[in-house]
Amino acid sequence: MKLSDVIIGVSMAMLAVLISYLMVYGGLGPIASYSLRPLATSFLNYTYNPWNVVYSALSPEAVTAIVWDFRGLDTYFETSVLFIAIVGLVALFRGASIAQGISSRGLSIIVKTSTKIVAPLILVAGASLAFHGHLSPGGGFQGGAFMAVAMVLIAITFSIEFLHQKGLSLSTLLTIRCVGLLAIAVVSVYLLVKAVLLGGSAYIFQNMVRINSSYSMPSWFIDRPLGGALFFFNLSESIAVIGGLTLGAILLLLREEELRAVIGGEERE
Amino acid sequence: MPMNELLPAIMAFVTALVSIVATWLAVQEKDLLVAVLFSALQSTCYALIYYLLMAPDIVLVYLPVSVGILPLITVILVKKTERYEE
Repeated sequence: MKLSDVIIGVSMAMLAVLISYLMVYGGLGPIASYSLRPLATSFLNYTYNPWNVVYSALSPEAVTAIVWDFRGLDTYFETSVLFIAIVGLVALFRGASIAQGISSRGLSIIVKTSTKIVAPLILVAGASLAFHGHLSPGGGFQGGAFMAVAMVLIAITFSIEFLHQKGLSLSTLLTIRCVGLLAIAVVSVYLLVKAVLLGGSAYIFQNMVRINSSYSMPSWFIDRPLGGALFFFNLSESIAVIGGLTLGAILLLLREEELRAVIGGEERE
Repeated sequence: MPMNELLPAIMAFVTALVSIVATWLAVQEKDLLVAVLFSALQSTCYALIYYLLMAPDIVLVYLPVSVGILPLITVILVKKTERYEE
């Protein structure tokens, strides 16, 4: 036990030194070489290219452009995998519901007060990550996961009955999850439906004007690039992720009394 | 090679060493709650390495999942079963 204590201390100290180095040196300079591979050059050329909109995503953030525009279908199925996992969890826990009055006090007043200060900050940080996902590092999943952490923090500190009383019951969270996923599907076929109704041609997961198609998602919001569908994808994804992860965490947080019907199946002696 | 190019590589190396120590402690630890904390320390080291390798998107998705969601699920699991390993 002595040895492990020493190792813990040494590792903590090293981590502190490293983090302080990181603070001092800021960006720390480039670690990769200055010459780019052809694939990277191509992506960087077409991520934000107002002179060649036919191949461009018109978003300054290369990762979001790749994830939601160049490789949009992959990301859709990735989102569906998480959705199927949540559906499996809901199927396992079917019949369970948040009961009132088991132990609804939550944690102490000190923890509650600090959570009241911290949780809104995490929510705002997550929202900014999600809504600026097409401008700066971040995106729908990142922002949604940040906000889900804040929701789980509230659920643990104030008890899950508090969330239930505020209107976030299990079915509401599942509805939020489904609305987010449905919004992704609607955005991905929006231009296709528009082209079918108005004539002309368009593609699934189309963002800007493409070859043979003159339809386009809005690319500017006042004086900021909007990235067309990327903003709406990030928004819907963050809604889907916050609903799904919070639902999963609350299902796992359910107490014995609430799960007795699910575990036992029948009346117990 | 100039120092300002070599420094991030050295830091990533040292951080990786720290993460190895944290992983070893997490495996060794009999108190599972403490093991979860060591696992979170290892995840923090990995997040720092991702930042040094200039992948801020991965850092932002790794932080809430590995420091928030994963310890949460593990702690719930420990709470519903046993805290001390045999």
